[in-house]
Amino acid sequence: MRRATLRRTAAAEAPAGGPDDSAGSQAPAVRPDPGVSPQRSRGRLWSALRQPGRGQLIAAVMLFIVGLGGVMQIRINTADDTYTNARREDLVQLLDGLGSESRRLEDEISQLERTRTSLQSGADTQRVAREEAEKRVQVLSILAGTMPAEGPGIRMRIADPDNKVDADVLLNAVEEMRDAGAEVMEVNDTIRVVASTWFSSDASGLVIDGRQVSTPITVEVIGEPHSLEEAARFRGGIVSEITGPQIGGSVEIERLDRVVVESLHPVRQNQYAQPASPPPSPR
Amino acid sequence: MIPLLGLLAGIVLGLVLEPSIPQALQPYLPIAIVAAMDALFGAFRAYLEGNFNDRVFVVSFISNVLIAAAIVYVGDQIGVGSQLSTGVVVVLGIRIFTNAAAIRRALFHA
Repeated sequence: MRRATLRRTAAAEAPAGGPDDSAGSQAPAVRPDPGVSPQRSRGRLWSALRQPGRGQLIAAVMLFIVGLGGVMQIRINTADDTYTNARREDLVQLLDGLGSESRRLEDEISQLERTRTSLQSGADTQRVAREEAEKRVQVLSILAGTMPAEGPGIRMRIADPDNKVDADVLLNAVEEMRDAGAEVMEVNDTIRVVASTWFSSDASGLVIDGRQVSTPITVEVIGEPHSLEEAARFRGGIVSEITGPQIGGSVEIERLDRVVVESLHPVRQNQYAQPASPPPSPR
Repeated sequence: MIPLLGLLAGIVLGLVLEPSIPQALQPYLPIAIVAAMDALFGAFRAYLEGNFNDRVFVVSFISNVLIAAAIVYVGDQIGVGSQLSTGVVVVLGIRIFTNAAAIRRALFHA
């Protein structure tokens, strides 16, 4: 410490913690200074540790202030309120950033909502189309005879002791039933009558779709029971034709609330015909 | 030895008493601390080079802190506070590194 006070005159323009003290420190080799040799510096450090002086006391006060301020600043910095000591411009900038971010996110939200709505409506449309198609498939497969069917209708039992009911008579009967609105017809619980059903008679008896028909013939028809029965019974119709003197059979008709038709018509793939337009593709 | 004890005492007091400075001064505390560190390194360097002066040290310490805080304050007033504080920190950081290099040379000649 004594040495420092002796050099006070030199310290006025030499580095002393002041603003100009970094001027010559970049090139110490160019300016050889007898006071900067490591041995003398270390010796100064040791003597300072051994015999503290007034300068050290002042340095201690300064370091005390720095330590206090540093701890305060660290405490402020680590505290949760990071924005309390931010400047107004910084806060405005932060707010601007947050505002634009939230706008961007809102845009994204509305876009995603639009996407969701369109996807939902697309799914709805697809579902409706599929339900419609399934309904049509059901109706058409009932028509084509590939699905069992049930409903109100009549059961007609034709007794033919002389085996005189031939294909013409039966075809007439089927036609009459169709005219009266029959939707599903079945002969003898085994033969489903569809659009392509054919009737024939040979020496052994009646043949429908290649299958022998035994007597008595039972025809089950699904449709409006009243009109079906009327269509069978009108004068010159099936009943009068069969019960007439030429055939001499008898016809029994009962109206039923529930007629179950479980026989199926075998599906045959078309060999030549193709649908003219492509089937509606699901959207 | 005594300066280190002073630093320790300051840290312990800050931790125990949890003092707080006025809200208006809070933005200038970090800059003031950096300026104080610069002054401390400069003083240590001057001490090792043998031309330490406690009066110069005290004056440079206080003026460093005040000037740094004042620069940032003026910057805040004219609307370039954050830029100016960045500049002050850069300048003081360069000075701290320079002083640290001189201290290293003085102690280890390396």
